Amino acid sequence: MRRALLAGVVVITALLLQVGVVNPLDLPIGHPDLVVLCVVALALVAGPMWGTVLGFAAGLAADVMPPADHALGRLAMAYALVGYAAGLLEDLEERSVVTTVAVVAAASAAVVLVFAGVGALLGDARVGAGSVADSLTATILYDVILAPFIVPLVSGAARRAEPVTTY
Amino acid sequence: MRDSGRARVVLAVLLLTAFTLITLDYRSGSGGPLRRLANAVFGPVENAVGDVARPIGSFFSGLGHLSSYKSDNAKLRKEVAQLRSQLRLTDAERARLADEEKLLHLDQLAQFRIVAAHVSAVGGSLDFESTATIDVGSRDGITANMTVIDGDGLVGKTLSVGPTTTTVLLANDVQFSAGARLESSQLIGHVDGGGRGPMTFTLLDSQGSIKVGSRLVTFGDIGQKPFVPEVPIGRVTRVVPTPGALTRTAEVTPYVGFDSLDVVGVVVSAPRTVKRDSLLPPTATPTPAPSTPPPSTPPPSSPPATPAATVSPSPSRTH
Repeated sequence: MRRALLAGVVVITALLLQVGVVNPLDLPIGHPDLVVLCVVALALVAGPMWGTVLGFAAGLAADVMPPADHALGRLAMAYALVGYAAGLLEDLEERSVVTTVAVVAAASAAVVLVFAGVGALLGDARVGAGSVADSLTATILYDVILAPFIVPLVSGAARRAEPVTTY
Repeated sequence: MRDSGRARVVLAVLLLTAFTLITLDYRSGSGGPLRRLANAVFGPVENAVGDVARPIGSFFSGLGHLSSYKSDNAKLRKEVAQLRSQLRLTDAERARLADEEKLLHLDQLAQFRIVAAHVSAVGGSLDFESTATIDVGSRDGITANMTVIDGDGLVGKTLSVGPTTTTVLLANDVQFSAGARLESSQLIGHVDGGGRGPMTFTLLDSQGSIKVGSRLVTFGDIGQKPFVPEVPIGRVTRVVPTPGALTRTAEVTPYVGFDSLDVVGVVVSAPRTVKRDSLLPPTATPTPAPSTPPPSTPPPSSPPATPAATVSPSPSRTH
C-alpha cells in the first residue's frame, strides 16, 4: 500500500516536472521522458503485475495531463507494456548499472515505437519518419544519461517503502 | 511462474482497456469533456509549478550578472542604490518585460482585446506534439478556438479550456493550419505547422508568384474563429518548386520563437476590420526584399500609412 502511494507520488511528480520544467528547456533534438524512467525503476522492484498496473496508470495520467493532445490510451498502452517487461526482470538480483541503462534504453525505444505505431494506425499526421527518428534518438539518449541517477533513487525508495515483497 | 501468468492476464486486460479508450477518445477529438476536466484538475498545479520554475530559470540566467552589482566606488553607491531596482531585473525578467511591451505594442496597433497569459507548461508527449498550457481559462473569458499571439506574431490557437488554464496548439505543430495572405496582395492560401521542420505556405493559385522574403499574415476566419485577420505569421525563406501542381508551396520561418515562449495573449475580440498589413513590423529590416513594391499602393479608401515611424521595439526577429 505504501508502495502504491509512493508510486503515485513519484509518477505525478515526474509528469509535472516533465511539462513544467523539462519540456520548456530548449534542448537539441528533443527531451528526456521522465515517466519511462520512473515506471522502469518501480517495475524492476515491484514485478510484472504491479509493473503493468503502474505503467497503465502512469500512461493514463500522461495521456490526460494538459497540454497533451492525442487519443487517450496511447501512452497507457505503451507504458503498460514497458512496465510488464521491466517487471519480468525483477529477479535479476545483481543488476549492474550497465543492465539498468540497457533496460532503460530498450524501454524508451519501446514507448516511442508503441506510441508512434498506434498513432500511425490512427492516421496521426504528427507521426512521420522524421519525428519518430528524432523522438527515438532524444528519448533514448537523454533517458540513458539520466538513468544512473534517477533509477537507483526511485527503486531504492520503493524498496524501502515495502521492505518485504508479499506475493 | 504463477505470478507471471497472472501478470500476463492483467496485461492483456489493460491493453484491451487502452485499446478501447483509444477508439472511444479518437472520435471525441481535442476539446472533449475529459480534457476540460484534466485542465481543471491539473491546471492549477501546473500554474504553481510554472510560477516556481520560472524564477529558478531566471536565477540561473541572472547569476552571470552578480558581479556587476559590486562596485566599491563610494560615489557610485548612491547611484547604484537608485538603479538597483532596475538592475535587479535579471536578463530573463528584462526579456519578459520586453515581451510584454511588444505584445502591448502589437495589441495597440490592432485594437484587439487580449487577455495576457504566461506559458506554464509545454507539451510534448515524446516530442511528437507542440502544445502549451497557459495560465488563463474560462474565468478570464477564454473559449476554444481563439487566436493566441505574442509581440512577434501568431503563436497558435486555444484547444480545450479549463477554469484557470487553457491548452494551446502551437503554430509549429503538424496538426496546425491557418488561412494566410501574402503581404500587400490578395493572394491567399494556408500555412501549416511542420513539427521540427519549417512551416509551409500553400498558395491556392497556380498563377500567383511567391517571392523569398515575402511576409505572411493570417487571413482571418468567418466570425474570427479561430483566427483574427492580419496577425503576422512569418516570412518566406524558400519557394519549393512544384511544377505542374495546382498550388504553389513555400517554406516559412515564423516570427515567433516557439522554443522560448513566455508572455502570450489570447485575442478575446477584434474589431470588425483590421487595416491591411498594419501589424507587420516596419520594412526597415535589411532583408533583400526583391522588388517589393513600396507600401505606397494602399487599397482604395484606406487612409495613408500607419505610424510606421513610431519606434517599434520589435525589429522583426529573423534568424
